[in-house]
Order: sequence, then structure tokens, then C-alpha cells
Amino acid sequence: MKLTLPLFLTLIILLNGCAETLTRVMPYEKEHFADPKMSVSPLAERAEHEGHIFLIREASAGGDSAYQGGCGCR
Amino acid sequence: MKILLLFLTLGLHLYAGISEGDKAPNFTLKTLDGKKIYSMKNFKGEVVLLNLWASWCKGCKKEMPEFVALQKSYKKGFKLVTVNLDDSPEKAEKFLASVEKKTGMKIPFISLYDPKKSLAKAYQCSAMPSSYLIDKQGKIRNIIVGSLNADEIEQLKLEINKLK
Repeated sequence: MKLTLPLFLTLIILLNGCAETLTRVMPYEKEHFADPKMSVSPLAERAEHEGHIFLIREASAGGDSAYQGGCGCR
Repeated sequence: MKILLLFLTLGLHLYAGISEGDKAPNFTLKTLDGKKIYSMKNFKGEVVLLNLWASWCKGCKKEMPEFVALQKSYKKGFKLVTVNLDDSPEKAEKFLASVEKKTGMKIPFISLYDPKKSLAKAYQCSAMPSSYLIDKQGKIRNIIVGSLNADEIEQLKLEINKLK
């Protein structure tokens, strides 16, 4: 019993390190995540243009969709 | 064994979330302009809607004009208390100025500022925005997660009128 209590308390302290409040970014702490700079494609127009270029260049190779042969004429 | 059970109970109690029927945790916060200090004592005998918001939160943008109309429709017995959680108060002031411009009305509700997020922690805010309807006795009667639209505000008004 003498050894069980300190062991139990140590275990609780160690497990507290994994507590959700310590590991999870809380909703009210997401200011920097909500910044437009943090989005995968912050500039929608540019992302669309890049997508078009990718489709012209790579669609013929397969994997994305069947589009055209790579001439960029459509 | 009794000590182990005691620790376990205490541990579980610490992790228990806030829920409807619980006493609203107290707070002491300054207004956005830093001129006044408010705590729960200031709202004794009044129905309070405590709203947690931030300028970066999309849902807050949607519901804020509705909140202007909500507070305008009550002269006595109801207070809308908004708590901003931005890192800098300038962002919140800019946001509120844009709401004033959009609605053509001055902000009628109390705007508090909580840069340390102490209130969000105390109320265990699970999403942005979150609102807590608190009755005259200081008990949480409704926890609203997410933004409120005009129809939901009308529903909320019925609830406020019952509590008044």
C-alpha cells in the first residue's frame, strides 16, 4: 500500500500530460490558424489558374482526370 | 483504497464539463476600451446572454448584426454581454466598427475583452462562437454552440421572456 499510492499519483501526473486540454488546440486559440495565410490555397484565383495549368500538363499522364493531350488549346 | 477513490473522484470532477443548470462561473473583465470593469455581480437580477466571439471567427460575423437587434429590443431585464477573445483589441474594435456600419446602429451591448482567454477556459468553450443564457439567479439555462440566425434569435427571445 505504501508503494501503491506514490505509484498511482505518479501515473496520474504522467497521464495528465496527455490530457486533452494540454494536447488539443482549443477553439478559442485558433486565431492564427484562421488567418487566410494559413489556408492551403490562400489566393483562390491563383489556385484556379494553377489547377488549369496542372490539368493541361498532367491530365494526359492520368491520375487526375481525362482532359486533353497537353496542348492547352481548350 | 479510500484515498485512491478520493483522488479518482477529484480527478473526474476536474474533467467534468460545464452544463445547463450549473452556476455560471464568475469573471472580472475590462471592456474593450478598458474604461469599465464588469463581473457577474453587475448583472444580478437580470437575464444575461454571454457570447464569446473573435474577429477571425466566421460565425461571429454572421450573428453579430442579429445581436445588435436583439439587445435593441430589450430595454430592461436582459443584458447581452459579448466577450472578445482576440489577441489584440484593435482587431475587435475594427470588427465592431464594421458591424456598426453594416447595421447603421451603435453597438448597444457590453463588449468585454479577454486576451488571456480565462473566461473561455472557465466556461469550457467548445466552439466559436458560443453563447450562454444565464438566468436571474446566475444559473446557466442554455448553452448555444455555434452562430445564431434570425429564426434562432426569435426562439431565444421566447426563452429570455420566460426567464425575465
